[in-house]
Amino acid sequence: MPNFTEETISVAGGNLQVYKGGSGDPLLVLHGAGGNAGPRRYAQALAEKFTVYLPSHPGYGKSDRPGWVESMQDLACFYTWFQEQEGLENVRAIGFSMGGWLAAEMLSMTGHAFSKVMLVGAAGIKPNDGEITDIFIINPQQIRDLVYHDPSQVPEWDEMFGTDPTPEQAQQAEGDREMAIRLTWRPYMHNPRLPAKLARVSVPTHILWGENDNLVPVECAGLFHQAIAGSQVTVIPNCGHSPQIEKPDDFVQAALAFL
Amino acid sequence: MFLMRFTERAYVNYSEEDVRNSPNEAVRLTFSNSNFDPQEGHYLYNMYLDEYEYSEEVGFDGLMLNEHHNTPTCLGATMNLEAAILARNTKKPKIVLLGNPLPIFDNPIRLAEELAEIDMISGGRLVSGFVRGTGVESLATNTNPLHNRARFEEAHDLVIKTWTTPGPFRWEGDHYHFRVVNPFQTPVQKPHPPVWIPGTGSPETLVWCAERNYPYIFLETDPQGTQDMKSIYTEAAREHGYEPGPENFGYLVRIHVQDTDEKAYDVGKGYMVGNIGVGRIPLPRDYASPVGYGSRSDDPRFLRLREQIRSDPFRVGGLDSAHYDEILDSKRWIIGSPDTVISQLREVLSFMRPGILAVWTNDGSISHEDTMRCLELMGQEVLPALREIGEELELTDPFQKEGVMPGLTSI
Repeated sequence: MPNFTEETISVAGGNLQVYKGGSGDPLLVLHGAGGNAGPRRYAQALAEKFTVYLPSHPGYGKSDRPGWVESMQDLACFYTWFQEQEGLENVRAIGFSMGGWLAAEMLSMTGHAFSKVMLVGAAGIKPNDGEITDIFIINPQQIRDLVYHDPSQVPEWDEMFGTDPTPEQAQQAEGDREMAIRLTWRPYMHNPRLPAKLARVSVPTHILWGENDNLVPVECAGLFHQAIAGSQVTVIPNCGHSPQIEKPDDFVQAALAFL
Repeated sequence: MFLMRFTERAYVNYSEEDVRNSPNEAVRLTFSNSNFDPQEGHYLYNMYLDEYEYSEEVGFDGLMLNEHHNTPTCLGATMNLEAAILARNTKKPKIVLLGNPLPIFDNPIRLAEELAEIDMISGGRLVSGFVRGTGVESLATNTNPLHNRARFEEAHDLVIKTWTTPGPFRWEGDHYHFRVVNPFQTPVQKPHPPVWIPGTGSPETLVWCAERNYPYIFLETDPQGTQDMKSIYTEAAREHGYEPGPENFGYLVRIHVQDTDEKAYDVGKGYMVGNIGVGRIPLPRDYASPVGYGSRSDDPRFLRLREQIRSDPFRVGGLDSAHYDEILDSKRWIIGSPDTVISQLREVLSFMRPGILAVWTNDGSISHEDTMRCLELMGQEVLPALREIGEELELTDPFQKEGVMPGLTSI
């Protein structure tokens, strides 16, 4: 299994925590609102083919928050800065949930952020029929119950959730939640202008969703598809909001086929 | 001593089962308003206003109102409307708003206008308190809890400037932006209506108040912890060159009086479904205090104080598991015949030494009749006795204070 290291990279006046592992072309992985779960099984598998960069967004994990990072657009600015500095422009990327929204914002700002991109259960576009679940008025346990369609098929369940969080982990989770609140409070988890701006996207885009997503309705896959010309959509059956955790083998297979 | 009357104006026409069936079993924020009957609301608003008007008659110096949102526990969702009615229908008492939740207002200029109108209609009787609001207020109005304190402070500065600086001027702040601040109506009281701040002891707010010489009204805080909170205020006040006295502090207590101890004991049970709601089901933490709302201070003294507040079994809003008798034994609620109440209050006042006493006369399921009798007995026996005790203990209130009146020296 490829070794991941934890690095600290100084970007835009703050330190960014980045897990890095594997070899091959770079692959930038952008985590969701819940925080950076580290190099889980899916990341290990991807690292067989790529050099995986898995940063903790500013304000998350051990990453500093430059004081100006207040919105998703600020965060996108931060990451294009990071890419430029680290020579990571025009790379492959995967964005999960809020990280998918982040990738979409970056796509709407520049044509040379990514060479190929996967948006997985991505936030950022308001559904027409359903609603994006408000995770800020439910507790972490309730969120977890909604994220996973069938916990029994999550191979890393015990590893991830088998023991109660330590006080440090609980405090970390609270800091992560605070950053999510900062970034996505209003309008909640979407940018009304994003769909129009995504018309500029010309890089290959793969939209992937769990069929039973209880956080970001699967109809949003269709809305991203409409907004991004030439994009392709895959819906994984019997799967919740985080296919990379709930069905890592199916997810990795789809990712490798596309990337 | 300044004596003001308070009630949260509860709505209790629902059951514990209704609360249990609501999202997150919460009596605030998500408890469906399908449980509300506006016809009952018609009756209650008028009844509560009648009680406040009668409070003037029996001799209270102030009528205190508060505001909460998305909750049956307090009908004062737009407290300024009730205040405007009382401004018109009463003649003497101060109208004490504790307080308008500043962070939830996207347009504090409108708030400044409303308060100026209340001050004018009342002939300069407004005391304009401000609060941060609970987490529920932030969520109900979609105000980012992370910005709560910053918005509180900026909105305060903007309202005070609006009242004290001739317009037009521009305001380009971090959270508020106005191209022409120039509301034509300004308050009668100059430089502005006094500002009092209620709270449960947040150290940052205590320091903020002390820096401005704003009276701080302790909301049912535990007496021992209150001494520590007062010392934080006092230290900050001394750093700003003045010595605070009773006129800088208020205390809110549930005080219910009936003809006999037995009657009062029975009636007082109605408080139990007051601010915590029917069923007394604890509010989810993410409602009461969402992540980001709380302080990030690591000052050990502040942390200790915060822990003390949190662990107080009788703190306001934390009464979900306390037993009625325990609360009475602790003297946190004062319930009994006039003699009992007066003698217990003497103890409380001697220890707490507030210049302002907020008398929470009734709440929850206490009936109108019992409330009216309580107010009557207050007027006949309790208030005169409290005034004597206040004089004896030299509990000067802000209006009695010689020199600069606390509540005015902001800016």
